[in-house]
Amino acid sequence: MDLGILLQILFWGIYAGCIYILLATGLNLIFGVMKIVNFAHGEFLMIGAYITATVFLLTGLNPYAIILISMLALIGIGAVVERLCFRPILGTGKLNEIFLSIGLIYIIQNGVAVIWGDEWQSVQSPYEGITVPVGALNVPLDYIVIMVVTTAILCGLYLFLKRTKTGREMRATSQNRKGAMLVGINVERMDVLSFGIGCALAAAAGTLWVVSGQIFNPYMGSIPAVKAFAIIILGGLGSIPGAIAGGLLYGIAENSAAYFLGGVWKDAVSFILLIVVLVIRPTGLFGESGE
Amino acid sequence: MVVTRDTIVRYATYAVVAIAIIAPLLSENLFLLNLVSLMLIFIIFSSAWNLLACSGQGSLGHAAFFGIGAYASTLIAVKAGLSPYITIFLGAAVAAGIGILLGLTCVRLKEWFLAMVTFGFAIIVQTLTVSVLAPVSGGWDGIASPRLVSPAIPGYQLIEYYSILVISIAAILFIRYVMKSRAGLAFSAIRENELEARAAGVDPVKYRLLAFALSAFIAGVAGALQIHHIGYITPEIFGVDLSFWPITYVILGGLGTIAGPVIGTVVLTIIWDGLRLAGLTFSRYIIIGVILILTIIFLPKGLVDLPNQLPKWKEALHKMRGKTKTAGSPE
Amino acid sequence: MKYTVLFIVGILIATAVIAGCTQQQAAPGAGEIKVGVIASLTGPASNVGKNMWQSAQVAAEEINAKGGVSIKGTKVPLKLVVGDDESTQQGGQKAATQLITGDKVDILVGGYSSAVTSAYEQTIAEFKIPFVVTGASSPIITHRTDIDTSYVFHHCPTTDTYGQYTTMFIDQVLRPAVNKKLGAAADRPFRLALIYQDTAFGKGVQTAVNNTITKDKLNIVLVSQQSFKMGESDFRTPLTAIKATNPDAVYIAAFPNEGAPMITQARRDLGLDTIFLNVENNDNAQFYKDLGQYGEGAIIESRFSPYTAPAGALADAQSTFKNSYNAKWGTFPDMMGASTYEGVYIATQAISNAGTTDKTTVKQALADLSMPQIIEAMKGGMISFTKDFRESQFDLWMEQLAYDQSIGECRPKIVWPDNLKVTDFALPSWYKAGTA
Repeated sequence: MDLGILLQILFWGIYAGCIYILLATGLNLIFGVMKIVNFAHGEFLMIGAYITATVFLLTGLNPYAIILISMLALIGIGAVVERLCFRPILGTGKLNEIFLSIGLIYIIQNGVAVIWGDEWQSVQSPYEGITVPVGALNVPLDYIVIMVVTTAILCGLYLFLKRTKTGREMRATSQNRKGAMLVGINVERMDVLSFGIGCALAAAAGTLWVVSGQIFNPYMGSIPAVKAFAIIILGGLGSIPGAIAGGLLYGIAENSAAYFLGGVWKDAVSFILLIVVLVIRPTGLFGESGE
Repeated sequence: MVVTRDTIVRYATYAVVAIAIIAPLLSENLFLLNLVSLMLIFIIFSSAWNLLACSGQGSLGHAAFFGIGAYASTLIAVKAGLSPYITIFLGAAVAAGIGILLGLTCVRLKEWFLAMVTFGFAIIVQTLTVSVLAPVSGGWDGIASPRLVSPAIPGYQLIEYYSILVISIAAILFIRYVMKSRAGLAFSAIRENELEARAAGVDPVKYRLLAFALSAFIAGVAGALQIHHIGYITPEIFGVDLSFWPITYVILGGLGTIAGPVIGTVVLTIIWDGLRLAGLTFSRYIIIGVILILTIIFLPKGLVDLPNQLPKWKEALHKMRGKTKTAGSPE
Repeated sequence: MKYTVLFIVGILIATAVIAGCTQQQAAPGAGEIKVGVIASLTGPASNVGKNMWQSAQVAAEEINAKGGVSIKGTKVPLKLVVGDDESTQQGGQKAATQLITGDKVDILVGGYSSAVTSAYEQTIAEFKIPFVVTGASSPIITHRTDIDTSYVFHHCPTTDTYGQYTTMFIDQVLRPAVNKKLGAAADRPFRLALIYQDTAFGKGVQTAVNNTITKDKLNIVLVSQQSFKMGESDFRTPLTAIKATNPDAVYIAAFPNEGAPMITQARRDLGLDTIFLNVENNDNAQFYKDLGQYGEGAIIESRFSPYTAPAGALADAQSTFKNSYNAKWGTFPDMMGASTYEGVYIATQAISNAGTTDKTTVKQALADLSMPQIIEAMKGGMISFTKDFRESQFDLWMEQLAYDQSIGECRPKIVWPDNLKVTDFALPSWYKAGTA
């Protein structure tokens, strides 16, 4: 076995992991505050991708600048979805949010198909031709930028949660909702905010997806979202370090599976990994026992 | 009052069953016959999913059992030359066995964890079918499955329809029996509060496994019926859409009730195929999605609860109108 | 209580209304030929399905503009009815029974995805209705033995056919060209890598390539056979594995949404500078757009292309079809559309030949059919179905892509076989041959 090949696969794994990390972190943030999971999270990634492509084709802006536009747009869309769909069912049983997500998936996927059509699309990054040598590989500059942007977004989120008043209030709500209410934190505002930010992270993943030249269609969000969901379960619900570790682990595990077992195992291996972890630790790698 | 209501529901049920028996004899619409046959199969499938959900376990991968039942029944029928009428139940038994195995890994898991594991399980089963099991399963090409009733027999469509009708009525009666029995009580006790259930002497592990096995068995029957009806099976049977449909049906009809899956499947099938005949494409899914979300928010107990909810809505509407007139700022 | 009753009554009324609707449709049209088109209007295959249905409508309009289908000297108008198979098995079965028993169509055209098509073939066999399959690529459709498929006619190349054509092209053109470039001996084995979609379609191509090499004792070694899941967008890992085996060329059995990113990732991210051979369904406008400059030198096996046509009379026929499709729908047809367009012509010609809509006679007319090719190149210039498996014989071609700076996309030119080619195959200057 050639070590060079393993390193290459590792690199592709980390690159694939970036998208998962952004999705999983967003899901975890929402879970932390609202204690709900949104199965339709991948649909926000998909909307982010379409917004990026549309803005890029209309204005020709730098695609990395569009990341801000798509994130802002998704904060808005996320807030609306939270208000209209998730708020009314808060606290009515944990299965309801899963069922509601299924409805959202139907609506968003097919709504996008009505607006933008259901053909596969792609956008060419202006930096597509530029490559950077990384070990044995000549990697497009875009990939390095994507890893840097992901890291920057995660650092930004960390600073927001640790250093700002709103961030601290959000963490307080996530630790103890009733307590937060007692000390005068507007928890409903925190709900909207965390849902919006979670969606914005998905939008960022969508923009990066488009910029790296990956193709997209209205149905592309489901599989990454399900994997992101598996990742937060694997890493432990509500644990952001768990999401990051899980995201990287998944990116690498999938690519290794594709190499050693064949491409058809790529999705299955993620879930085998999940089941094995859950059998050993029913609350995930970094999860606390009990909720 | 209570008595009247039960009586009405009972007679309505008899009426529906009577129509289901007589109608095909009067009309020769084979399209409708096929549609209703597929609908009955989905009633069995959604009822199976519902049974599992009654024990507090929401599966997102029930297509796995639907497909395992179908594959097992087909393979047994082809290899052993048995009649599909027998292999349906043998295939379902295989599904139940695998259901117990999956249940064993799931007993300690809660809502989302369980949802994820079952979802992944369907994907794993599909992967196995097209890779390791390909020599027997035919891989992606799939394999032909014998018809429930051979097309050589005159009137085979009707015979097949009545067979499916009988099996679906039997399945519903069986589920009704289970839900009214000790086990059914144990299921709802576990769903409501596992700690209290344990304190009351209910063994959650035992009953959760039982729910898994029964649900997988019935889902396997539905899958086998569908495949013997269609006559060909491919690994697409493990697809996500087949896992989601029973959920949609049950949520609309009413989770945890016996009538819920039936009403949900009938109503949604009518809406879905009506919209399809009207030529709608993507908007069909959007309409289904909106109906689903509205049901979850406004009718959390599904359509079966509509008779109780309607008066409340009327009242609320009146109040709102009153408020609008006086305060002018309705919510 | 009383609402429950109302509710049940409501359901029954709704059922009755729907039944009424279908019954109404079932009323036999006076003096009409009814052709049912089964297409995936929703679900994952919806854009192919839309293309097929729209192409069928173009054909029907042309036929009706000329007065309709001629039966025993009189012209009868043609009516198309569509059935949406929803890209699923049960959807396909509903669509087929609706068309056959509800709409009472005389003949069926269409059908995409072998998994979906095989689910309603049973229904076709039971009602003994002629069916011209114009989209499903698996040979199984007409090779099954468990049911009577004698009413099913396959008018689109199967994975067997294109796997075989492409392998022949590799042996006859690519292998000598590489040997010449390397200055190697003529008996140097050609190193071919294969990457296929893990589905009936991809595996069909894989089988065909392997069989052709063994059967014809070709001097080709398969150095790597990688697979990927349908809808995959990241191929870097299997491509890394392929690159490690130093192939002379890579044969890709994928859909356009997979093929384009795959070639881009191989050339741009991995520096795998080799010849990529693609299956015919990649020959659509989106593929060229997604591929950009990285398509340079690649090969597509094809029968209908948005940007090129074989030399001769077919070029006019193809552009006429493209123009009338564009005039009606504002877009351009794909090759599944082209064969469905022909399918409607084949169906009506068979009815015309039979002089009746009697199913058995029409089936016999299809079996005996021998009509001039319409827009796609057929073997011997005639459309007819083989006696054994009722497959029409296409004349497939290979086209090579060249980058056009001014439009920022590649454009194809036919390079094989000799009777259709416009120019010669050439290895690009950057091409790197494999090493053992």
